Amino acid sequence: MKKLHPLSVAARSISRSVNVGLLFFVAGVVASPGGAGATLVSVGGMVLLGIVAAVVYELAYYERFRYELTSDTFDVASGVLARRDREVPLGRIQNVDVREPILARLLGLAAVHVETAGGGQTEVSLQYVGKEEARRLRRQLRRGARTEGETSAESASSDERASSDDEELLFEIQPRELAILSAFTIDPGASLLGGIALSFLSGLDPTALVPADLVDGLPGAEAGLVALAWLVALFLVAAWIVSAVLTFARYYGFRLTRVDDELYYERGLVQRYSGTIPLEKVQTLTITERVPFRWFGYGALAVETAGYAPGQDGRGTESAIPLAGYDRVLALARSIEPFGELALEDPPTRARERYGVRYLLLVAVLVGAGYPLAIVTPLERWYLPAALVVLVPVAAHLKWHNRGHQLGDRYFLTRTGFWSRSTKVVPYYRVQAVLHTQSIFQRRRRLASVTADTASSATLLGRAATAYDVDADAGLEMQRELEERLQERLRARKRERTVGERFGSPDESTLDLDPNSDTPHDSSEEVDR
Amino acid sequence: MERLTPRVRVVWLVLALFRAVVLAGLLVGAAVALSETGLWADPPEALVPGAAALALAIGLVRLAVAWRRYAVWRFETRADSLYIERGVFTRTKTVAPYVRVQHVDSRRSPLERATGLATVVVYTAGSRSADVAIPGLTPDRAERLREELRALAIESEGEDAV
Repeated sequence: MKKLHPLSVAARSISRSVNVGLLFFVAGVVASPGGAGATLVSVGGMVLLGIVAAVVYELAYYERFRYELTSDTFDVASGVLARRDREVPLGRIQNVDVREPILARLLGLAAVHVETAGGGQTEVSLQYVGKEEARRLRRQLRRGARTEGETSAESASSDERASSDDEELLFEIQPRELAILSAFTIDPGASLLGGIALSFLSGLDPTALVPADLVDGLPGAEAGLVALAWLVALFLVAAWIVSAVLTFARYYGFRLTRVDDELYYERGLVQRYSGTIPLEKVQTLTITERVPFRWFGYGALAVETAGYAPGQDGRGTESAIPLAGYDRVLALARSIEPFGELALEDPPTRARERYGVRYLLLVAVLVGAGYPLAIVTPLERWYLPAALVVLVPVAAHLKWHNRGHQLGDRYFLTRTGFWSRSTKVVPYYRVQAVLHTQSIFQRRRRLASVTADTASSATLLGRAATAYDVDADAGLEMQRELEERLQERLRARKRERTVGERFGSPDESTLDLDPNSDTPHDSSEEVDR
Repeated sequence: MERLTPRVRVVWLVLALFRAVVLAGLLVGAAVALSETGLWADPPEALVPGAAALALAIGLVRLAVAWRRYAVWRFETRADSLYIERGVFTRTKTVAPYVRVQHVDSRRSPLERATGLATVVVYTAGSRSADVAIPGLTPDRAERLREELRALAIESEGEDAV
């Protein structure tokens, strides 16, 4: 059994001390005698107590943490107060991520996170081990998952070969792509950070930022408006700059390589992130084209597995290409799942009418809300939102035009969204259940939405592959078709496997109806067995 | 296509009634609090009766939906998959292939025990797994259905079901 890196005590203690120290600082202020007069001694004492408690806890954590990589499982025993022994079968591992947060990176440490499909959170987190050990673990965890019989010595030596020979660079972010990505990505945390930065800049006095000479010449009410607009503009610029810097640091040096049957990504300027995505565990591919990027002909690719748990905000998309030319994204997606040509079928035109009616109602609500507002506030011209009616046909058409689906040879493809158009590629054999839903409004127009549910973690956030607003009967037909093809593909895969077991290397052309569109990891899986 | 036991309407009606009462309590309570404590300086006359009427309307809709739900609910154990049809406003037809079944539960809430009913829940690795629950079965039928589904799931053994 191995222990964590001794320095991990320091790294964990520091990060925990900051949290606990802050908590005890607040507690110290509150608990100070007399209430108002927080004495330096009592607050300092509480903070010190917090830090000492954190260090003691981390020492105990380090002492009690053991892990071991056996030939077919990864065993971890941990816990200070409540003990936990965990065995993860290597064959069930979905993703392995290695992260180097800034503090750990300074100390030469890395955290290893192992994801499986079960459970609500990351199954195993090693915080922290040495960098070399992290690399070794990442390789062996995945290698062990593939060739369970191999001894560690052999695999260690073949590791070196694998890293030099078989590594195929799939994607490396170009400076231009990184620049575009940084300039147009809105990081949700950035507005907060931008606001904080601004308030510090101004010395916590917002009026200091307003150019006095600009405002002075104007009468009272208008001066207030100008000042407000000025502040909003400043805030937006600050948020934008912070967002660009954060995005730049996050995706700096992004590389995606392919080693045997798994993808390996690396990224990050200050904090380094890397990890593996086994191709045989891919549930869904999502190609996202957000609006400013789509105009430049760029898109993003997410490779979804069942590994990431819900609520791990956006972590599922770590296994993704942040931005690349659309053609390149498509080519990469095809190299992972060869889904062939995109020939998406539009929804029926009455779906477009439906969106038109929906947006008309929206405008009506806006106008309706404007009227009482105009009565109680000095605002006039409550009917102005009605001008939005002009946009209704455009919006309805765009929404309709960006939706579509395709029942491919081996893949179910769906597309939706104008602002962020996402195209999902679901292999039939990954489908878990098929849902045919009709809201009241859809029933009026004989429309339905067909969802192919998969175990992909992203679908938990309501982003399952759904063909929106197809004809109701066609939807039922599609549902039947999806289920049939699921069964058929499962049988085919099973046949491939059993034949593979019997003959070692099966002749694929006799097994597959269409060898050209065979998935590459299908064949690599056979070789394994 | 199999229908649920008609008695399931009792369960749904009681639940709907309970929720309607809670909501009505909150709505009317908030209205009374607003008009009595003077938080709102000059509340309109119709505030409390309006809240009561709204709560009543919502309650009636809830009850109607609970009653109607039974007429829509259907399920069928097909050769390769479990088929379920349900939903008053949004009608959902679910196909859950047996190959994908991870495990099957039968469970009985206190209300279900009081009415002599049971629910069978079929879990898949899919993210909407909780969607596949069949309520309103007699305990006997639930037991048989669970066994049936289990047998079918084993029979159609797939690979790693993820």
